[in-house]
Amino acid sequence: MSLFEKIFNYQIVSRLDESGAFATTSQERVWLQSMLADSAAAEAFTPATLDKLRSMLADDEPLEADGSLKEKAGSSASSVYHPLLRVLRPILRSRSGICMNYRLRNGRTHERMSGFPYKLEYSMVKKEWSLLWYNRRHRALMSTKLSNIVTVSEEEFSPEEAEKLTQRILGILESRKVQGIIEIIPIYNGEMSRILYAFSCFEKEVEYVQEVDTYRITLTFQADECEYVLSKIRFLGKRVRVVQGARLISRMKETIAKALARYEEEE
Amino acid sequence: MARESFDKEIQFLRMLTLTSGAYNRQQFADRLGISVHTFDKTIRRLKEIVQSVQQQLPAEQGHDFNELLRFNYYESADPLLLFLFRAKSLKESESLRLALLLTALQSQPLTTMELLDACCDGLPSDNPLPDEKTIRSDLKYLVEVGVVRKEPGGRPYRYAVRNDLVAGLTDEELLDLYDFVDIMANTQLPSVQGFLLRDHLKKAMRRQGGDRDMAEPFLYKYHYYSRILDEAHIHPLLHAIRQRRCVTFLYFSTSKRSMYGSQNTNPLFEKETEGREHTILPLQVIYDHQYGRWYVLGHVGGKGIMKFRLEGMTQLMEGESVPEQRFADLLAVLEEKTRYSWLVDTGRAVKVRVRFYNPEGAKRNFIRERVLSQGQWGTITEEDNESFIYEITVNGITEIKPWIRSFGSSCEVLEPRQLRKEFRQEWKELQAYYEPVRENI
Repeated sequence: MSLFEKIFNYQIVSRLDESGAFATTSQERVWLQSMLADSAAAEAFTPATLDKLRSMLADDEPLEADGSLKEKAGSSASSVYHPLLRVLRPILRSRSGICMNYRLRNGRTHERMSGFPYKLEYSMVKKEWSLLWYNRRHRALMSTKLSNIVTVSEEEFSPEEAEKLTQRILGILESRKVQGIIEIIPIYNGEMSRILYAFSCFEKEVEYVQEVDTYRITLTFQADECEYVLSKIRFLGKRVRVVQGARLISRMKETIAKALARYEEEE
Repeated sequence: MARESFDKEIQFLRMLTLTSGAYNRQQFADRLGISVHTFDKTIRRLKEIVQSVQQQLPAEQGHDFNELLRFNYYESADPLLLFLFRAKSLKESESLRLALLLTALQSQPLTTMELLDACCDGLPSDNPLPDEKTIRSDLKYLVEVGVVRKEPGGRPYRYAVRNDLVAGLTDEELLDLYDFVDIMANTQLPSVQGFLLRDHLKKAMRRQGGDRDMAEPFLYKYHYYSRILDEAHIHPLLHAIRQRRCVTFLYFSTSKRSMYGSQNTNPLFEKETEGREHTILPLQVIYDHQYGRWYVLGHVGGKGIMKFRLEGMTQLMEGESVPEQRFADLLAVLEEKTRYSWLVDTGRAVKVRVRFYNPEGAKRNFIRERVLSQGQWGTITEEDNESFIYEITVNGITEIKPWIRSFGSSCEVLEPRQLRKEFRQEWKELQAYYEPVRENI
C-alpha cells in the first residue's frame, strides 16, 4: 500500500471537484473502518448511521491490528469524543449564540450565561475538549471545558452581530499573542532536529546566524500558553536558553532558584 | 519503470517546516545535498501543486513558500503538508481519462464500451481518442485501488464507482461522518488516509451546500505538524512487518549536516553521500508523542536490535522474507527488551523515585493529574498534603529525564543517586545561563 497513488494526484482531484464526482479508495475506507472500531464511534453517530456505515464498508478487508504500530510517551487516552460535540457543532456552524450553565473550578455554578461560541478546541496534551466563547456580560473571551458545561441551548443571533463578535474575538486573540526568542546553545547544534521537532507544535520562525553558528527560534503563542511553552523549554534542559521574553525569562529564573533549593541540603 | 521516490520532497518539506526561514537558498540546498537549481525546480513544483489543491491560497508571484508552511492552527484545520501525497506524477491525458471515467460512473454502473464512449465524448477535440485496451487498463487500476467495483452478474461486466459514503447518507449523517473523520484524523494514528478522506468529503459537502464556505468548528492544539510526512514510510514498513520481510534503506543520521543525498544518474557527478545503507528485519514502528517523531525497531544480523528514526530514512526497499518462527522469536526478544522502555531505550533497568510537590494554593492538583496521565506504568506510592512519591522501573534514565525535568521545581529526584546529582548539576548550569554577564576588567 502506498500513499502516493495516481488517484490522489492533484490534477485528478481538481478535475473531479469541477465535475462534482466523488469516489473513495479502499485505503480511505479501511482507515475509516478501523476508526469505527474505536469507542468514539458510538458517541459520534446514531446507532442507525453506524450500522449503515459498517455495512457500506463490509466488503473491504480490515487491517488487522497486530500491535506493530505502537505509541509511546503520550498521555493515557480517554475517548476523544464528548457528547456535547454533536450539540454544539450545529450551533457553531450556523453561527448562533448560546445560553449555558457551567461549573467553575471552585465548584460554583454560573447560570444562564449568554454568549457567542467561537471554536471547539481539543488539546493534544491534556486530551480534552474546551469551548472557546465570547461572554457578553463580561465582555471577555472564555475557555470552558466541555466537562464543566451543565446545560447549553441555542440563542438567535443576527448575522451582523455574529460577524461583529467574530471580529472582536479575532482581535482579542491577536492582542493576546506574545513572543519569545529561544537560542540553541551551539554545542548542541547536532541535536537541532530534535529541538526543532519539540517546538514544532507552536507557530515559529527560525533564524540562523552564520557568524556565530547559532540558531534562534522565535515562538509566537497565546499568553495563556506560557506555562506549556515553559514546560517544553525545561524539557530540553541545557540545550536551550531563553534570550527574549520577559515573562519566560523571569519564570525560568524562578524555577531554577526553587529547583536548586530542593537539592541544596547536600553540598 | 522506476518507482517514483518522494524522499527528496519529504526531506525538503520537513526541513522547510522545521527550520522555516532559517536558511537562504544556497544553505538550504547544501544541507539537502542538492544544487540550487534543483532547489528552485522543487520549490516551483511544490508551489504548483499547493496552488492547484488549495485555490484559496494567494497565488501572487514570488509568494514566500515559507509563509504557506508557517504553522498557525488558529487559521486552518487543513493540514497543508497533505499536498505531498497529491504529488504523484501523471500524464495529462491519463488524468483527463480517469476523471472522465469516474464522472461518468457517478449516476449508474456502466460497461467498458459505454465508458469508452463516455470518454471519447468528454475529451476535448484536440486529444487523441483512447482505445478499448487503454480503458480496460484504466479500469483495472481503478479496481485495484478500490475506487471502482466490478458488479456481480455476467458479461458484459458493469463497473460501479464507490461513492456510497456520500450518495448513501443523509446530509445530517454526512456531517456526522465529516466531523468524525476530522476528529479521528487529527487525534489518531495513522492519519494521512483520514485527511485524504476528509478532503474528499469536504469538497462533496461544499458542493451539496451550494458552494457555501463551511465554518470549521474544530481546532487542535499542540499538534506536531510534520508527523504526517513520515507516514509515507510507515505503510511500506508495516507491510514489510506483516510479510515478515527485511528492508534496505539509506540512512542519514540526524546529527549530520546533510539530510538527503541526491541520486545523480550521471556517474560523472556522483559524489559520496553521507548516508549509510542498512538492511534490517523491521519488527515495530513507534510514534513518540514527546517530539512527534517516528522510529522503526528492527533486527540486524550480528548486531541484534537496532533503532532508526524515520526522518533519516530514504530509498526504502523491501527484500527477502524470514520464516515465521524466526520472526516470532526476534519479536519476543524485542518485546522483552523494550518492556520497560520509556520510549525505545533497551539499556539496563533502573528504579527511579521522584517526589512531586502539589501546587500551592491551586484549585486543581494539575501536577498529580499530569503524572497520572503521562507517567506510563509508574505508580504513586506515598502521599500527604504537600507531595507524593512516584516510582517507576525504566530502561536507562536518558529518555525519562526530560519528562521529569519539564516539571521544574515541582519535583525532586530521590533515586538513583546519580540521577539526583545530575539534576542538581544541570540546574546549576542553567542558572549560569540566566545570570547577568560580567565584564572581565
